[in-house]
Amino acid sequence: MTNTKQSIVATGINKYFYDPVNFHVLKDINFEVNKGEFVAITGKSGSGKSTLMYLLSTMDNDYEGNITINGQQVTGLNQKQLADFRNEHIGFVFQFHYLLPEFTVLDNLMLPALKLNKKPKEEIEHRALELINLLDVKGQEKKLASRLSGGQQQRIAIARAMMNEPAIIMGDEPTGNLDSKNANVVIETFRHLAKELGQTIIAVTHDHDFAKRCDRIIELADGRIV
Amino acid sequence: MLTSRIRQLMVAVLSVIFGISMYVAMNGFMGGVNDSQTEITFTSMAHIKIYNETPDEVAPITTVPKNEQAYSYVSNTKNINYTEGIKNVDGLKNILQDIDNITGYTAQINENVFIQNGVLQQSATLSGVETETENQLFKTADYMVEGNFFDIDKRSDGIILGIGLAEKMGVNMGNSITLSTSQGVKKNFKIVGIIETGAMSADKSKAIVSIRTARQFLSKNRSYATEVQVNVEDYNQARQVAKMIAPHTKYKVQAWQEGNAQLDSSSFLRDILAISVSLTILIVAGFGIYNIMNMTVNEKIKEIAILKAMGFDGQDIKTIFVSQALFIGLIGGFLGLIIGNIIIRIIDHVPFNIGPMDSLPVSYRPQDYILAFGFGILFTFIAGYLPARKASKLDPVEILRG
Repeated sequence: MTNTKQSIVATGINKYFYDPVNFHVLKDINFEVNKGEFVAITGKSGSGKSTLMYLLSTMDNDYEGNITINGQQVTGLNQKQLADFRNEHIGFVFQFHYLLPEFTVLDNLMLPALKLNKKPKEEIEHRALELINLLDVKGQEKKLASRLSGGQQQRIAIARAMMNEPAIIMGDEPTGNLDSKNANVVIETFRHLAKELGQTIIAVTHDHDFAKRCDRIIELADGRIV
Repeated sequence: MLTSRIRQLMVAVLSVIFGISMYVAMNGFMGGVNDSQTEITFTSMAHIKIYNETPDEVAPITTVPKNEQAYSYVSNTKNINYTEGIKNVDGLKNILQDIDNITGYTAQINENVFIQNGVLQQSATLSGVETETENQLFKTADYMVEGNFFDIDKRSDGIILGIGLAEKMGVNMGNSITLSTSQGVKKNFKIVGIIETGAMSADKSKAIVSIRTARQFLSKNRSYATEVQVNVEDYNQARQVAKMIAPHTKYKVQAWQEGNAQLDSSSFLRDILAISVSLTILIVAGFGIYNIMNMTVNEKIKEIAILKAMGFDGQDIKTIFVSQALFIGLIGGFLGLIIGNIIIRIIDHVPFNIGPMDSLPVSYRPQDYILAFGFGILFTFIAGYLPARKASKLDPVEILRG
């Protein structure tokens, strides 16, 4: 069922909320995402698109169905295994950058790699500087994260997501808090990563301009794929 | 690690410093009070006393009647074969020599006598002492107000009076007084010294002469004593040492605690009081840290969520917050120990002129410092662990979705 081209395979996903009332959020979702694809998940608010992304990201493991990422089944792993899996294979970009404000840009970038602890510190620093160059925020690495502009912070957040060369970058409204100019920069960055580096990217968005520039759009309505 | 609030950190550190320094200061002071109490007590009393105990039950010497119909009853029994005091004190000393943990011993003759100065008459306790060993045990020479303790060796009619006794008798250095025993023997003595030990009852009743003079005065043999006073290395071990001596002698061996339960218990109660008050202060400091750590967790909730999203698990988050609390505990602990030591030194220099003391008594016991530090770390650990556990259990999805 899985082959090496597939990055994510989701089968028979059902998700319920119990609080405040029982609610069937996601109804029998099946889809696949190939490696190097840049996919947008869209839908009206309440359609379940964010919920779907948090399931795919392994942060929420209370669902029915089966999710396989890069050939590894993540459904059924315990919290500790999931945390390690996320650290190695998944990068996050949120609506807000969520950088640690009292750390420098460089320290923020190095944090996920230091946690992974698979490379010596010099190599990690080298990788961080490379990403800073790639995302065009050179010269800011020694500054505190809180001193950067909004667009720069979001680009650093993308760099952080890429630190451990993840299988997938997940975005939750990654342009939601940016002006159109910076949003454009972020979208172009994503496109570049997908095309040039074969990076799989899944982003939840309600920005039509963003969605149009993706390889594929998965649209949700009332918990089903349209 | 995650705190940006230097002021909060300082408050937390200060509360630990306060708690630990108070612990050290209170226990140091209480320890000093206890030590000085004990020291005063042991100026006139040794750790172990060996003496000839009057039998409390007298067995009547009767023949049991063969006839079971007969009934015998002896009323008003009296001791007839009781020997007073310790006849051969040198033999006892030889035994003591071979027992470990004994730091010194001295033989004494203690006898109730009357002191007369003209028409004034007072009862007093006459102590015949071996000056050399007596001074080793009780540092008697240090408590002399006037005269020289060893002068009683030089003249057989020399006597040293307690300061209270001398005042009651209205006598001074160089005056003569008359002593009379219960047997009616009288002898003149010349006052060669005045002593103040700080123990009021002793100062009001004690008269000291050399043991040779006392033997002669009471017409006893040259190895006679009423008791042997024994000091041991650690006075808290007196009971154990007493048990070691007991099998070797027919005389009563009594550790100081047996005759002075009030001293033992009041030291103990003071210790409990000091420890409970200072632990309360430390616990309050712990609540302060708990509060601050809780606020930090609430403030940093988004950062915690993002760390979890990045793959830090609950244990990592816990480690971060617990190590922050322990950092507060360590810094506060070290500074607290230093400040506690400074406070104790200040107390040590506060003038306090009662009895033999000239400043407030304190002690510098290492265990106070070790315990203060240990409790400090324990409480900061608990105070940090609870918020850390809360942080480790946060659900990142709930927080990141807002």
